[in-house]
Amino acid sequence: MKIAISSDGSNLNAKVGDKFGTSQYLVIVDLESGEFEAVPNPGASGQRGAGMQAVVLAISKDIKTVLTGYCSPAAYNHLKANGIEVLTDLSGTVGEMVEKYKKGELEAEMRAGTGPKSRGIKVDKSALVQATGSSARQFIALLPMLLGVVLLIGLFNAFVSKQFLASIFSGNVALDTLWGACFGSILSGSPINSYVIGGELLKYGISLFAVTAFIITWVTVGLVQMPAEIAALGRRFALLRNGLSFILAIPIAIITVLILNLIGS
Amino acid sequence: MILFPAAMVVIYGVLFVVMPDKTSLALKSSGNIFLNMLMPLGLVFVLMIFLNLLLKPTQIARFLGKGAGIKGILLPAAAGIVSTGPIYVWYPLLKDLREKGAGNSPIGIFLYNRAVKPFLLPVMIAYFGWEYVVILTALTVLGSIALGYSLSNLMEGDNSL
Repeated sequence: MKIAISSDGSNLNAKVGDKFGTSQYLVIVDLESGEFEAVPNPGASGQRGAGMQAVVLAISKDIKTVLTGYCSPAAYNHLKANGIEVLTDLSGTVGEMVEKYKKGELEAEMRAGTGPKSRGIKVDKSALVQATGSSARQFIALLPMLLGVVLLIGLFNAFVSKQFLASIFSGNVALDTLWGACFGSILSGSPINSYVIGGELLKYGISLFAVTAFIITWVTVGLVQMPAEIAALGRRFALLRNGLSFILAIPIAIITVLILNLIGS
Repeated sequence: MILFPAAMVVIYGVLFVVMPDKTSLALKSSGNIFLNMLMPLGLVFVLMIFLNLLLKPTQIARFLGKGAGIKGILLPAAAGIVSTGPIYVWYPLLKDLREKGAGNSPIGIFLYNRAVKPFLLPVMIAYFGWEYVVILTALTVLGSIALGYSLSNLMEGDNSL
């Protein structure tokens, strides 16, 4: 059975790290063999999603228990969902915590209410509150960009003439669809923005072929995220996936509109 | 992320001084667009809570490594559809799954199906009508299978990753 302890250093004398997601190392101890390894915490840089990277590491190393100073509610829930126990509010050296854990003292202290309490447990009591909270955060994160897009469309409506757009989108189905796919590939973000922009473009007389290709490539092709995709999944994969997604967007857009026309909408 | 909306506010501020009439028109137009979106946005929020209550990213990601044949298509497609949040949150999970042996096809299918977002459908329907949404959604899922198949064939024999 393996346990992971967030740590400031790479040995058993190092102090237990304050935060699971961003501590320098995760020291992984095999309780049966007594062997340990210190793995640099992928979330140590503290970027967004740091906690998630540490969670992924814990899952991939088949950890049964995590010992740490503090674990964010989101990381706590992901760990629990994957059957990993989390003990928090710990301080001292890694070695001391391992010994206490082996003797069952940490869990005994938690049960007696005299020792460390998992801050995550409070959150776990109300999954609905947790879900509402994370939904609110996701929703609020969407709003500034959406508001910006709506303001931009307002400017567009007031200042840009239909003649200008007509000069870009000629009315040629193949060419317009290609243009739509190109614009969608360059721009990115939540799909909701592509719906709003696409809906307004329709009012300008841009064909549904072009708007559909735009909506599809908005999500499926990501020139902006390409460096991140290359880093995670390799250059060949990223280039092929984005290239194929771009090509695929054109027939999907054309067939969608043709079917729609056939059923008479 | 805040840069773009902030830039918009600055542009509006400048334009109000230079061309107040046209800029009022632009602001009115934006206000109307936003008002029309309120109802669908409310639904979006409710659906978000529902999905967050039921699913966790790590549970979703586990679908990707499982199943062969038809399951190897449907599970990553379903995972892509129900996944939420920005794509960069998912890259570390996908990388990890790839290292654990998940194929190129399920990862490609997953990424393509992120275009189908059930919680955003109310907004899409408000703009384009439900028939359009149904057709586009079905074709996106079918397209993802074609993408997964092509990707898997084209990547075959590549050991440079």
